[in-house]
Amino acid sequence: MSDFSISGTQSTPAIQGVWGSGTLSMQGDSYPENSYELFHQVFEWVQRYLAEAGRPLQLELRLLYLNTSSIKAMMDIFDLLEEAHHKGKPVAVNWHYDNRNERVAELAEEFKEDCTFPFEIVGHD
Amino acid sequence: MKPDQSELEAVIKRFLADPDYRDHPVTHVLGQLWQQHRELLNRMERITRVSDVYQSLAREREMSLSERFDKQLRQLEKVARISDRYQHMMRDLNLALREASTRDSLTGIANRRLLVERLKAEVERSERQQHTFSVAMIDIDYFKLVNDQYGHEVGDTALIEITRVMEAEVREYDLCGRWGGEEFLILLPETDVATAAGVIERMRDNIRTLAIRVGEQTLSLTVSAGLAQHAAGESYSETIKRADTALLAAKRGGRDRCEMA
Repeated sequence: MSDFSISGTQSTPAIQGVWGSGTLSMQGDSYPENSYELFHQVFEWVQRYLAEAGRPLQLELRLLYLNTSSIKAMMDIFDLLEEAHHKGKPVAVNWHYDNRNERVAELAEEFKEDCTFPFEIVGHD
Repeated sequence: MKPDQSELEAVIKRFLADPDYRDHPVTHVLGQLWQQHRELLNRMERITRVSDVYQSLAREREMSLSERFDKQLRQLEKVARISDRYQHMMRDLNLALREASTRDSLTGIANRRLLVERLKAEVERSERQQHTFSVAMIDIDYFKLVNDQYGHEVGDTALIEITRVMEAEVREYDLCGRWGGEEFLILLPETDVATAAGVIERMRDNIRTLAIRVGEQTLSLTVSAGLAQHAAGESYSETIKRADTALLAAKRGGRDRCEMA
């Protein structure tokens, strides 16, 4: 129905939402000046997709550094997925990281902790 | 209802139902009083019921508020924990970057940037505390020949091994760094040039006896040194320049020696 794409900057991640394939991808660092402005469109897209699409949703994350408000925003998005998962909707997260930076995996683990939907942390060489 | 009251109610009901008293004027009044009594009772019961409902509503509301509060609190704690870890990661990255930007990548000793930083600080400190310090410029003799004859890999090994001896021979508060190529600078804080010469000569002796392996053979190298003591009012680059001139004199004098400015 509606795709959206935000190009990344030094302080904001690149974000792509593709309605047709049901994927939301994010890459890069996230320490925006106004994280509400950035994330609320992502949040709304996810909310709308889960309500209307009736198809699986897959998040492909390649995030490195997140500031505090970005962490909060990601947790809010994961809460949406958790809620959808409890209603029986198929949702999944793949969090990709570079094997040379093991600490990104440890942080992804922290996010994963309370999630009961499929959440994979995938290392790459 | 207390038993005497229900007894009383039973008596009243009986009177009101008795056809013998139906037309008695008191029966009519009693009937009205009885009716009022019943209504009052109903109202009281209704009020009690409503107030009970309110109470349980409030209790439920309170519970969901505290549940929401707990959830927010849990989320906040998690955000703080994750945020702390990100900050920790950034701090370590900063340290690694600083380390990388102040160390020579081949030998691991201080690079020119760190040497200059420390030299500037030393000039300020010596002026404030009216101390002096010395610098030694050190150059490996005929190093170009090593590279030409054995290749750069052997050259690099020689640099690494000589650096290791230098680091071992300087005192704890001296700073040994790579100035460029095969040239090294040693900063000796709170040290006059005569004392510095003692440290450098000991180091030169140990470098001379160092055997660098090249396949089956071993290779021995010597170094030349130029020393200068920082003079009051002098900039760090002026001191280095004098040490450089002394080094040039050592080279011209036949190498494998130490000259003082």
